[in-house]
Amino acid sequence: MLRSLPVLRQIAQRTISTASRRHFENKVPEKQKLFQEDNGIPVHLKGGVGDALLYRATMILTVGGTAYAIYQLAMASFPKKQA
Amino acid sequence: MTHQTHAYHMVNPSPWPLTGALSALLMTSGLTMWFHFNSGTLLTLGLLTNSLTMYQWWRDVVRESTFQGHHTAVVQTGLRYGMILFIMSEVFFFAGFFWAFYHSSLAPTPNLGGYWPPAGINPLNPMEVPLLNTLVLLASGVSITWAHHSLMEGNRKHSLQALLITISLGIYFTLLQTSEYFEASFTISDGIYGSTFFVATGFHGLHVMIGSTFLTICFLRQLKFHFTSKHHFGFEAAAWYWHFVDVVWLFLYISIYWWGS
Repeated sequence: MLRSLPVLRQIAQRTISTASRRHFENKVPEKQKLFQEDNGIPVHLKGGVGDALLYRATMILTVGGTAYAIYQLAMASFPKKQA
Repeated sequence: MTHQTHAYHMVNPSPWPLTGALSALLMTSGLTMWFHFNSGTLLTLGLLTNSLTMYQWWRDVVRESTFQGHHTAVVQTGLRYGMILFIMSEVFFFAGFFWAFYHSSLAPTPNLGGYWPPAGINPLNPMEVPLLNTLVLLASGVSITWAHHSLMEGNRKHSLQALLITISLGIYFTLLQTSEYFEASFTISDGIYGSTFFVATGFHGLHVMIGSTFLTICFLRQLKFHFTSKHHFGFEAAAWYWHFVDVVWLFLYISIYWWGS
């Protein structure tokens, strides 16, 4: 019981709330449970489906953009002769 | 299941260093396409992928620290060193522009008239908006200190209020400075005066925007109960960065606005 006292103190410090409006609930414990689940998923995908979509979109834009940049470089390297 | 027997943070493999590096390629080649071929596509792609990388990378750092508990004391010490070294590199970045200003203004060339401000330049009055800007940033330094103390004392309402005041002052500075840019009778292409003025104050303004963004993230994290009264390094890093931005302005004000007029 005494061993869990420092843990309780830490929780207490995080949930101290002097807010009069109840607009924000402390959802940190839920997030801690989600991200500490032992499922082998890396942190950048561990939040759910949204993570995977955003990751895929970023990769497509970056890799596609790189291909486009190399293409533009090739075009710029061989200027069209004027007629 | 294996457990580590040390307090250091072994990160999961991450795609963000790659996407960050590629976004830098897209931004630089995009600038080239914009300057030389009047095309903005690559630059836009670069800025977009850069923003996506920054959002996801820092989101992951929040997950690793607040949600997974990886930021032990020794890890935090490393982060502190890192932030200090980064700010020091920014100090050297600005030092270059101050060097350029003093090089040109201490020994003005004959084509400038042999004096500073150069012939034909009507500098801004340092006692008008620039002085207000100085007071705005100094006040924001006070409010961010209040925010920090409130955070350490566990006073949620005050820490949010003080952070909001700090961010508002930062935005106010940016708006004032934008109007000054339009009001100035000289432009960036008005000789060495214009170049030194707008490059130095321009990069400073960009850093005010970055600092305000960092503080806004801290505000949102504090709303979501991420910080504790003992552990809030993200906030401290933002506060250090903000004080640095304030100090750069003081040097700009004294050198360029006041002495340089």
